[in-house]
Amino acid sequence: MQAFTDLAFATLRLTTPIILAALAGLLSQQVGLINIALEGMMLAAAFAAVLGAFYAQHALVGVVAAVVTGMLVALVFAVFVLRFRANLIVAGLAANILALGGTGYLLQVLYQTRGAFAPPGLRGLGTVHIPGLSQIPILGPILDGHSPLVYVTWVLVILTSIFLNRTVTGLRVRAVGEQAEAAATVGIPVRRLQYGMLLAAGGLCGLAGAQMSLGNLQLFVYNMTNGRGFMALAAVFFGQAQPWPTTLGSVVFGFFDALQIRLQTTVGVPPQITQILPFLSIVVVLTWVSWRRYRGRPVAA
Amino acid sequence: MTRTVVRPQWVGELGRSFVTFSAALVIGALVMVATGRDAWGAYRTLFAVAFLGAQNLADTLLAATPLIFTGLATAVAFRAGVFNIGVEGALYLGAFAAAWIGFTLTGLPAGLLIPLAFLAAGLAGALFMLIPGALRAYLRVDEIVTTIMLNYVAISFTSYLVNYPYAVPGLANAMSPKIALAAQLPRLLPPSQLNLALIVVLLLVPLVHWLLSRTTLGYELRALGSNPIFARWSGVPVPAVILQVMLLSGFIGGLAGAGQVLGVNYRFVDNFSPGYGFDGITIALLGRNTALGSLIAAVLLGALRSGGATLELFVDIPKDLILILEATIIFFVTAEFVLTFPRRRHAGVH
Repeated sequence: MQAFTDLAFATLRLTTPIILAALAGLLSQQVGLINIALEGMMLAAAFAAVLGAFYAQHALVGVVAAVVTGMLVALVFAVFVLRFRANLIVAGLAANILALGGTGYLLQVLYQTRGAFAPPGLRGLGTVHIPGLSQIPILGPILDGHSPLVYVTWVLVILTSIFLNRTVTGLRVRAVGEQAEAAATVGIPVRRLQYGMLLAAGGLCGLAGAQMSLGNLQLFVYNMTNGRGFMALAAVFFGQAQPWPTTLGSVVFGFFDALQIRLQTTVGVPPQITQILPFLSIVVVLTWVSWRRYRGRPVAA
Repeated sequence: MTRTVVRPQWVGELGRSFVTFSAALVIGALVMVATGRDAWGAYRTLFAVAFLGAQNLADTLLAATPLIFTGLATAVAFRAGVFNIGVEGALYLGAFAAAWIGFTLTGLPAGLLIPLAFLAAGLAGALFMLIPGALRAYLRVDEIVTTIMLNYVAISFTSYLVNYPYAVPGLANAMSPKIALAAQLPRLLPPSQLNLALIVVLLLVPLVHWLLSRTTLGYELRALGSNPIFARWSGVPVPAVILQVMLLSGFIGGLAGAGQVLGVNYRFVDNFSPGYGFDGITIALLGRNTALGSLIAAVLLGALRSGGATLELFVDIPKDLILILEATIIFFVTAEFVLTFPRRRHAGVH
C-alpha cells in the first residue's frame, strides 16, 4: 500500500511539468503549429527560475522569471515561424539548441560549472498542505503536500478546456487549427491568435521549467529537461490536442517515468533499462492510437 | 517564378549560406562581448585552430568525418520530406555493432574485418530505423516523435550493454573491450587521429549524389519530398519509398558510428557522441539536402567543433558558444528573409 501511494505521489509530481508543457503543445497545435520548441522553452525557463529565485531570495520571482523567459524563447520561435516563414520543425529544433547552448554558456560564464548548479540558500517552491486533506485515507497522502504548481497545473487544465470549448476566442483558435485560410476569410485574426497561443505556450513551459528546477528539485542541471518536452509533444499527439485526453497521455507518460525511478531504487533493474521505459511506452502508445485511427484505410503520404 | 535575371541557382545558394554564416558570427560576437569576452581574439583563434597548418586542417577533417556521414544520412530523409531525427540512435547502435565485430571476430584479416564491421554497423542502423520507418510508412505514426523517443532508447540500450554484459572490469568509464588491431583504421596524417573513415565517407558522397539524381528511388524520394500528393498520383509507391529512405538513412547513420569506433576510439564508449546525429540536421539544412552541400557544411561545422574545444581551453570561452552559433545558423537557414525577400516581393507572392 505504501509503495502504491508513493508511486502515485511521485507520478503526480513528475507528471506536472509534462502536463504544463503538453498544454503549451496543444495550444500551439490548436492554431495549426506543431511545437517542437517545448523542450527548449522549458530548459531556458528552468535556468531562469533558479537565477530569479536565488537573486531575489524568493521562489515567486523565480517563477515569474521562468514564465518571462519561456515567453521570450517562444517569441523568437514565433517571429521566425510566423514572420519569416521558417520551417516549423527546423525552427523548433533550433530553439532547443539555442536554449541548450545558451544555458550551458551562461552556466559556465557566470558560475564556472558544467553540470549542476545549486546556489546555497536557493529557495524552492516548498509544499502546500491543505487542511484536512491528509486525513483522507489513500487519496490524502497522494494529493497532499505537493509544490503549489502541482495544484495550479490542474486548474490550468480545467481553464484550458473551458477556454477552448466555451469561449469565443477558443472557438476562433480551433477554427485556425482546423482550416487557417477559411478562418482568415471570415475575419478571424489568424496571425494574432497564432502569436498569442505561442506566447501562452511559452508561459506554460515557463511554469513547467520552474516546477522542474524549483519544485521537483532545487537546482539546475545542464540539459535537465532531457526529453520531457518531447514527452509532452507525444502526449499532444496521443490526445489529438484535446485538453483532457492530452492530460491523460501526460499522466501515463509521467507514470512510466515515476515507475522507472522506482524500479531502479527497489528492484535493482539496471537504470539504463528502466530509463528506456517511458520513451518506449510513448512509441507503443502512439502506434496503438494510430492503428486504431487508421485501421483498414489506405495510407496517404 | 517571375524571376527575370537568370543566374545559376548555386550562386544564390552560396550567397545565402554566406549571409547565414556571417549572421551567426555576428550574433556569437554579440554574446561574447556582452559576457565580457574577446570576440575578435576568439574568432582568430577559431580560424587558426581550424584551418592553419596541416595538423589543424587534419583535425578539422577528423571532426568533420562523422558529421559528413550524419549530414548525408539526414539529407536523404529530409529530401524525401521525412523528418528523421533518429540518426543519433542509428549512430549509437552502429557504433556498438562495429565494436562488437571488432572485438569478437579478432582472427580475421583487416581486409575482411573492416568491411564486415562497417556492414554490421550499417545494418544495425537500418534495423533500428525499420521501427519508426515502418510505423510512419504503414501506420502513419509521426516519425518526428518516434525517432526522438527511440534515440533515447538506443542510447540507453547501448549504455546498458557496456555497463553490464560487455563491461570491462577495472575501467572507470563504461566502455567495450578494445577492438582487434586489424579492425583499426589506418591514420592518414599522424599524429592527427584523422583516419581512413574520411576516405570512406568521401566515397559515399558521390554515391549518395548518384543515388539522389540518377536512380528510380532518388527520383521517387525527391518527388515525394517536393510534392507528396503529386508523387502519389503519379504512381510513386509512397509507403515503400518512405521505408526505404528511412532504412537508407539508418544505414548511413550506422556507418557514422563505425567510423568513430574503428577510426578514433577503438572501442564503444558509453555516451560517446556529442550529438553528431543532431548536427546532421544542421548540416543537411545548410547543405540544402544535397550530398555535396552536406560535405561542405560538415567541414564548416567540423571547423567550429574542432576550434570550439580549443576556445574553452585557451581563451576561456565555453564551447557551448558553438551551439549558439549552430542554432543561429539553423534559424537563418530556414528563414526566408535573407536574400529571397526582394525576389518574393518582386514576384508578388505573399
